[in-house]
Formats: sequence, structure tokens, C-alpha cells
Amino acid sequence: MSLDSIPIHVVPPGEPGLTGNAPPLLRELLEMVRRLLETGEPSAIDLSALPLTPADLDWLRDKLGAGEISVTLQANGESTLNETACPGVWWVTHHNEQGAVTSQFIEVAFVPDLVKAHPQDVEIGSGYLELLVSDL
Amino acid sequence: MQGPLIDTLARRGVTRRTFLKYCATLASMMALPPTAGRAMAEAMAAARRPSVIWLPFQECTGCTESITRSHSPTIEGMIFDMISLDYQETLMAAAGHQAEEALHAAMQDNAGKYLLIVDGSIPLGQDGAYSCIGGRSNVDILKEAAQGAAAVIAVGSCASFGGIPKANPNPTGAVSVSDLVKDKPIVNIPGCPPIPVVMTGVLAHYLTFGSLPELDDKGRPKSFFGETIHDRCYRRPFYDQGKFAKTFDDEGARQGWCLFELGCKGPVTHNACATVKWNGGTSWPVESGHGCLGCSEPDFWDGGGFYKALSAPADPLKFAAAAAVVGAGAGVAVSVANRVKKSAAKATHETTTLADLEK
Repeated sequence: MSLDSIPIHVVPPGEPGLTGNAPPLLRELLEMVRRLLETGEPSAIDLSALPLTPADLDWLRDKLGAGEISVTLQANGESTLNETACPGVWWVTHHNEQGAVTSQFIEVAFVPDLVKAHPQDVEIGSGYLELLVSDL
Repeated sequence: MQGPLIDTLARRGVTRRTFLKYCATLASMMALPPTAGRAMAEAMAAARRPSVIWLPFQECTGCTESITRSHSPTIEGMIFDMISLDYQETLMAAAGHQAEEALHAAMQDNAGKYLLIVDGSIPLGQDGAYSCIGGRSNVDILKEAAQGAAAVIAVGSCASFGGIPKANPNPTGAVSVSDLVKDKPIVNIPGCPPIPVVMTGVLAHYLTFGSLPELDDKGRPKSFFGETIHDRCYRRPFYDQGKFAKTFDDEGARQGWCLFELGCKGPVTHNACATVKWNGGTSWPVESGHGCLGCSEPDFWDGGGFYKALSAPADPLKFAAAAAVVGAGAGVAVSVANRVKKSAAKATHETTTLADLEK
């Protein structure tokens, strides 16, 4: 029996449009970028913690534009860290293994932390290189 | 297998970046500032495994299932594996005297430092004889184990509030952990079963900050239980528009309208199902077409019927007051409908019973 015979068609509630919650974020980003320049301190906005509709997010993404660097991370699902047209402002989206968005941030940093290699991991890498060299 | 958590995770194929990403999402779910994800990852990566003793009392093992039997190995499950789980009847290989020895060894070696997890309620009737382990009653074991614990985590509605064993008429005299333990910090993680990530969140918070997260008046972590199901329900716009399913197979149900009138307890239930969802984010009860049962609230089993709208009055004489307490537009609408029924009954000189007012 095919599921098509069950006459249920879920109609999603109409997508609410712009709420006006996105524009103030641009001001906050400006503050954060200034702080990065003055003190070198990185910061972030947690987009999933704010009442933003998909339309708001589209508006924000459109305003910030696309930059030159896109980083893709394969770790328990895909993550993308894309620089926007404003250097130092990164749009970070984490997906789970099923492809659903688990969290979304705008990070203000010269390089997002997630991209940098951790010294302990570099140490493990150097151990591996030593092993390769010793086999030469 | 002692050592920092990150090494153990690495051995299981979880890279540091995977862990950082997980912590960023966890911090976001816990409504912590975005930078907390990194602090959390650093603290947890370096953490030594805390000793955890898990005591199952009057329970169905559903809570253990929820946390350990995800369809694929999750990081929640792995973190859970990483803690030094020194006693858990369902998971441990040891049995009988060996198991009891492990319990006592863990309690002695880590006195004052171990976390005590409890699932299931504790029966007090017949001197606690309704539920015993190794010939000792649950209440005895709990009192002894709580003495040396740093904190107690009550997992599931039974341990938190008494749950189904406590349901009227409560034949075993079941009570919750907080009814018995008064001198230790207690975190309640209710739900039938509770959401796995809430448990990891509490553990992560404890490992990161050395303290338990902020709790609400029922002892639940505010970050997960701060809002109602209704607050975050994707069907909320239909509620606001006054569009309600009247039966489970009418046009409204097919269109995915609000299930308030079919007894959804979302408006009075604090839990994170609407945002975290279940089964790896696949779905959750309301999305599957059934109202919320309110399983993370005290005495949900005795709430007066899963399919009775919230505003349906418990006492016909006080129905106006009941509707006012709920204060919801739709609630008023239901009670107005009830009032019409009542006056119709009056007009025909029939006696109005509670059954007449129920849907």
C-alpha cells in the first residue's frame, strides 16, 4: 500500500516575512569589527538564539554578501565557514549528519577558531612526520 | 582508560574540530554566550572522567534507552561512555555481589566527589519493600549513596517528580528524589523519557564550570526548560489565528493546525522538544500529529485526560474561573462552547454533569 492513499497534506504556515530584527545586527557587527581591530578580540552572534525568520536571515546574508574564502569542514556532518564581503566577518553554519542545520553563527575574527589547528594536534602531526622521516 | 576526555574521544575517531563544533551547538542550545562553546570544549577536553554512580529504582529503563540507544553512536552517547560510570545495573557486565562491590568501592574512593544519577521513583510503602536491590530497599540505598555525592541528577519524571509509579492511587507510596534528599544540590531532568542532550548539557556544564546550571523553581535546568512547548511550537501561528483541529482526522488535522482542542498540554509544559526534537532531530510529538502529553511536568499522568483541552474545567461550578486562569483566547472559546451546552441543558431541565462539559 502506498502512503499516497492517505489524504494528509501538511500545509506549512505561511512564511512570515521580515520582522525588522535583522538590521540592528548590522550595527552590532560594526561594533564587533571595531573591537576586533582595536583589541584583536574575536566575538560571535548566535543566530539560532535570535527571533529571526528565514526572510530575515536571507536579508542579512544578502546585505553581508559573499567574500573570497569558503571553508568546508567535514566533522559529524558538514560545516561551512564563509567569509562575507566584509573581511573578518564569517557566516558559520553547522549541519548534522542528516544535513539539518544544528546551529548558525556570525563570527567576527581574523580566522575562526575552528579553522586553526590546535597545538596538541600539530604535535601529533609532527610525531607522524618524524615517523615518515625516520622511514626514509 | 583514564586520561583527558579528548584523548579518549580521539581513540573513538572523534576529532577535536568535531568536538568543538559539538560544543558550539551545545552552548547555543543551553543559551550560553557564543564564546562559551570554546570554553566548554577546552574544559571538557581536558577533564578527567568524573565518577558517576547511576541507581535505577522504580523505573522502566526508558530513560537509559533514551540516552544510550540512539540509532547511531552520537557524541552524547560517547561522552556518556567517557564518564567513569562505576555502577549502572543495565549496562555493567558485573552482577550480584561483584556489582554491589563496585558500587561501594566507587562510593569510598570518590567520597564527596561523585555524581549520583537516579532514575525511577522510590517507594516508601511497606518500609520500601516494593523495590529492593540486593536485599536492600531503594530508600536505604539512595540515602547512603546521596551522602557522599557532590550532586544528584534525577533523570526522568519518576526520579524528578514521582512519575507514573506515583500516579493516583500510588499503590507503592512512590516519592521523588527531592522528597528524600534535602542536603545536596539536585538537578531534575524530567521527561518520559528525557531528551538525551539535556543530560549531556548538565554534565558539560558541570565539567566546564564546576557547578550545576541555573535551575527553575522545579529544579530543572532553565536553559532547556525555560520555555513551554507552546512558546516554540511551529504550529503556534495556527493557534494565534484560531485554527484548531477538532478531531484527529478532520480537515484541520490534515492541514497541520493547532492541537490545543485535542488536549495538547504544550501551553503548560516546559521542555525543549519543539527545538531539539527527537531521534536525531527527525520529529517530535506535535510534528507527528499528536498533542503534547506534558510528560516533563509533575503528575502529568493525573492531569485529567490526555485528550481533554486544557481549559476544560475540573469543577463545572468553577468553569469561568478555570478559563480565566488559562486566559487563552481559545480556552475561552472552548469554555464559551461549554457554557452554551450548559445553558441548553438548563433550558431542557437536564442535569449538567462533568461528562457533558468534556469534549
